[in-house]
Amino acid sequence: MRADHRAVLLRRRLFSPGFFSVKFQAPALARDVLPGQFVMLEVAGHLRPYLRRAYSVADAEPAAGEVELLVRTIGSGTAALEGLAEGSAASLLGPLGNGFSLAGLGPNARVAVVAGGIGAAPFPLLFRALRGAGISADLFLGGRNAAELDFRSRFDGIVSGETVLSTDDGSLGEKGFVTDTFARRAAQGPSYARLFACGPMPMFVALARVVERAGVPAEFSTEAAMGCGFGACLGCVIPGREKPFVISCVEGPILPPEKIAWERL
Amino acid sequence: MTGQSPTSRVQSRALETRLGPLQLRNPIATASGTFGYGLEFTDFVDLSKIGALCTKGLSLEPHAGNSPPRICETPAGMLNAIGLQNIGVQAFLRDKLPRLRELGATVVANVWGDTEEDYVAVVGALEEAGGLAAIELNISCPNVEKGGMLFGNSPTATASLVSRVRAATRRTIVVKLSPNAPDLVESARAARDSGADILSLVNTFVGMAIDPVTARPRLSFGTGGLSGPAIKPLALRMVFQVARALPGVPLMGIGGISDLSDVIEFLAAGASAVQIGTANFRDPAVSGRLVDELEAYCRDRDTTVSALVGRAQRAWNGGEAGAEG
Repeated sequence: MRADHRAVLLRRRLFSPGFFSVKFQAPALARDVLPGQFVMLEVAGHLRPYLRRAYSVADAEPAAGEVELLVRTIGSGTAALEGLAEGSAASLLGPLGNGFSLAGLGPNARVAVVAGGIGAAPFPLLFRALRGAGISADLFLGGRNAAELDFRSRFDGIVSGETVLSTDDGSLGEKGFVTDTFARRAAQGPSYARLFACGPMPMFVALARVVERAGVPAEFSTEAAMGCGFGACLGCVIPGREKPFVISCVEGPILPPEKIAWERL
Repeated sequence: MTGQSPTSRVQSRALETRLGPLQLRNPIATASGTFGYGLEFTDFVDLSKIGALCTKGLSLEPHAGNSPPRICETPAGMLNAIGLQNIGVQAFLRDKLPRLRELGATVVANVWGDTEEDYVAVVGALEEAGGLAAIELNISCPNVEKGGMLFGNSPTATASLVSRVRAATRRTIVVKLSPNAPDLVESARAARDSGADILSLVNTFVGMAIDPVTARPRLSFGTGGLSGPAIKPLALRMVFQVARALPGVPLMGIGGISDLSDVIEFLAAGASAVQIGTANFRDPAVSGRLVDELEAYCRDRDTTVSALVGRAQRAWNGGEAGAEG
């Protein structure tokens, strides 16, 4: 169940400037969290940032009691986490949100995982679950340039299928957007039973059209600034198709693209 | 873990507080708009333990609220322009209130509308419901185009609305005041003279944040309500001021209250209870913990909440500086 976990920062791993992962000792959270769920993290004693920040759980190892976050420093919240010393404590409220669904995927199914930059954050845990279920998964990982994809080493050895890299400037992998890379592959090759995606909103807007055309059922890990993470503040709403707004933190963050009113973003 | 059933532990009577017709088991309430319908918090707080919870503002019909972005963090606080999204009073009565009653919560229904008639209609819909301790009139929301703050910004409009609602209900009426009113004391006086039993103050301060790159407001509504520790000294001053101008009017203090020291300060300024707001977002367990901390505080000092209320007024008057009795 949801709880506020007092967690100790065990290790930090720096991939490149501003890209890092942190591992926390948080046994109950490591046991309970599902792929795609998130935590609201508070670095204690700060008035700025005052609110917690939402982080997808990148990975969890129940046996070791460890929970990992994959982070890019973009503002005061992530900077506070980057500055947190090993051995320090932080509060992790969670697990929150709904998580990815593997329901209905047979052991012979093949799925696509599409990540834009640090949007790759929730996927190590998903790959772990997919492997456990015997489902083959290809990773499409895109970024602006090679330097911003140094963290791809985190995915070494955990992707059961193919890994396809792309960069906007062509400095690594295919040149262009990850959505286009995926669209080309999907048109030529494998038939994907499901697509899991996480990245910035412009990526989702493009990808929603791609999966609709390709007829691939999709689950997007949506991004919205969250005040609380558990449905109280109503700050993180996304324009909805079936109703005016979807509350990202409790009805998501994992949402099928057809529930989102993309034209109202 | 707390929260699944009403508490069996008896709270110290030293925490009890009276606000006119409303008796609360303790002075720690939660503020409308920061506590959902209460049920969002049951993993973190035993709802029967806190003094009261104020619901998300209820309107006659469900209301969608403003387009995102709706919130933005600011130093020691946040701006919001949610726009009073809510499920509507009928869904509240059907889907939320029965469960709140089972959990032993003391519920204050926060109410808003575009017109006086809207307020009266919502209050009317709540009139026969069991398990409501009071109605709180939101005349101070800065994030809607009509109604809302307009009723709070003019003492005449405040008086007219509160009189209409007073005539329509036997329930205890709390009026939630706006710090954006030109003269807060005059608004408070108008609310009291028109039949408010209790005043709660303050709602959020109208503020703004601008993206320095695009030069566009960070909130889609343009402006938003500022809350959090940043506003605490402003809110505390307003509670002190209204308590001084209108002695004997029961007050609930609101504004950036995050820890026990904040609670003690608002009680000292003259509030008989407090509402915890934005702090609930950062720490959903904070309200329950403040009850425990206040209980320990009173026990250690052999004092009561009643004795803590208005200490700063008495100290300022030169009487019993710092005394708790």
